[in-house]
Amino acid sequence: MALAPLDTEITLDQLTLDPYPIYRRLRAEAPVLRVASARRTFLTKAALTKLVKDDPILFSSDDPNTPMKPAFRAHTLMRKDGDAHLAERRAINPALTPKRINSDWGPLYEQLAADYIGRLPRGEVVDLFATLCGPLSARILAHILGIPEATDDEMQRWSQRLIDGAGNFGWRPEPFAASDEANDQMDALFARLAPQRIAEPDGSAFSVMLTAENPIPLSQIRANLKIAIGGGINEPRDAMATAIFGLLDKPEQLAEVKAKGAWSAAFEEAIRWVAPIQASSRLVTADTELGGFEIPKGETVMTIQASANRDEELFENGEDFFVFRDKNPHQSFGNGPHHCAGAHVARRTVGKIILPMLFDRFPNMTLPDRQAVQWRGFGFRGPINLPVVLN
Amino acid sequence: MVKLTFVAPDGSQTQIDAPEGTSVMKAAVANDVDGIVGECGGAMMCATCHCYVDEAWADRTGPREDGEDDMLEGAASEVTPLSRLSCQIKLTADLDGLVVHLPEEQL
Repeated sequence: MALAPLDTEITLDQLTLDPYPIYRRLRAEAPVLRVASARRTFLTKAALTKLVKDDPILFSSDDPNTPMKPAFRAHTLMRKDGDAHLAERRAINPALTPKRINSDWGPLYEQLAADYIGRLPRGEVVDLFATLCGPLSARILAHILGIPEATDDEMQRWSQRLIDGAGNFGWRPEPFAASDEANDQMDALFARLAPQRIAEPDGSAFSVMLTAENPIPLSQIRANLKIAIGGGINEPRDAMATAIFGLLDKPEQLAEVKAKGAWSAAFEEAIRWVAPIQASSRLVTADTELGGFEIPKGETVMTIQASANRDEELFENGEDFFVFRDKNPHQSFGNGPHHCAGAHVARRTVGKIILPMLFDRFPNMTLPDRQAVQWRGFGFRGPINLPVVLN
Repeated sequence: MVKLTFVAPDGSQTQIDAPEGTSVMKAAVANDVDGIVGECGGAMMCATCHCYVDEAWADRTGPREDGEDDMLEGAASEVTPLSRLSCQIKLTADLDGLVVHLPEEQL
């Protein structure tokens, strides 16, 4: 058996600007491809990405030697397998269940959404990405985590610095200096708030982890909060912005969504169409085979769920935003043991609260210039601006 | 192969044949049964394969697995004593004819 073909032409810049035509070609011509610029083997078909994520023994997340460790100043659960991962995951899970969200937090989320939506100006061009999608995602997360004392700006800045540090594969000093500063600020806040969260348990992630019967070490509690900050703002922000764009860009679908109350379906389609987390890495632990090619131990494969979500074998007209698909088996929340811990929160806050409220308050919202909306990102992707007129 | 019946909340039934050794969740997904999502693929991480084992079968499907209670807390629909994550029910010859009921919603 041969090694997968090697590509030396695809650049990270191309992937950041618009990866979708490339992925479409790869699905047809080279679904297993070593991409020199990314130093990864790209997997672009849904069956392969799912197979890899479902087999954490052969395709491990355990890799302490990524820039994630210095960026978070911790070996986090994202990069652990088996029992070590499970212990930390189970520690935070109780704060993220639908029951907790609906019964304990629902009214607060409704109120936060109403506040942020209520202060948007009518009748002029407003960038919803900067004024709503980012700040509201940050605010809701701050409450879920039990650190509402952090400002929206702090939450967003910390998140971005953690992400930039974790993606600093060139190991340049500046991103780590920035993430170090963010870590100092987060650690100081956590230290200040911990006594209150223990004295008055409030169901937040911080409180739940601190007051558990057998709590995980404090260092891992901090690491879990940082993972949630790094991984819990961009995704709902980008999902929200993508859904709003998709619906405004397809008014006939928006009308049908309103008529049927199909906001959850709109949310699912948005994250299928442009997955907020586009790709993930797994370390190959033993010589194996994928799609007819030899995959040696030690190689890093990249599951491109962005591409899996448009795989012609699963989706008709997958390049198009179409809310009313019969089935939508997207992989945007991943699968396997690392399936997104925030999936329930995202589905409820963005899908069931924010989208319907926004379109209810501004029934005549318009997208004056679809070309003005810029999309960016290879690892994470979404619009980086969303100028609309609210009416 | 064992026979397996899914009963939707509206009472409609879907009958499938599935190989022994697979899970109820995998059998449902492989046969496109609406109402079982199984998003995490059986890793007990998503609670989107929630089902209610028919009372007549509850003894034979056995107790919940370690960690299953905690994850069921995350299920979108009401959890009852008959609730299971269908990814944790392995099909054996003993379960030939198993009937499970589907919840109102999984997401």
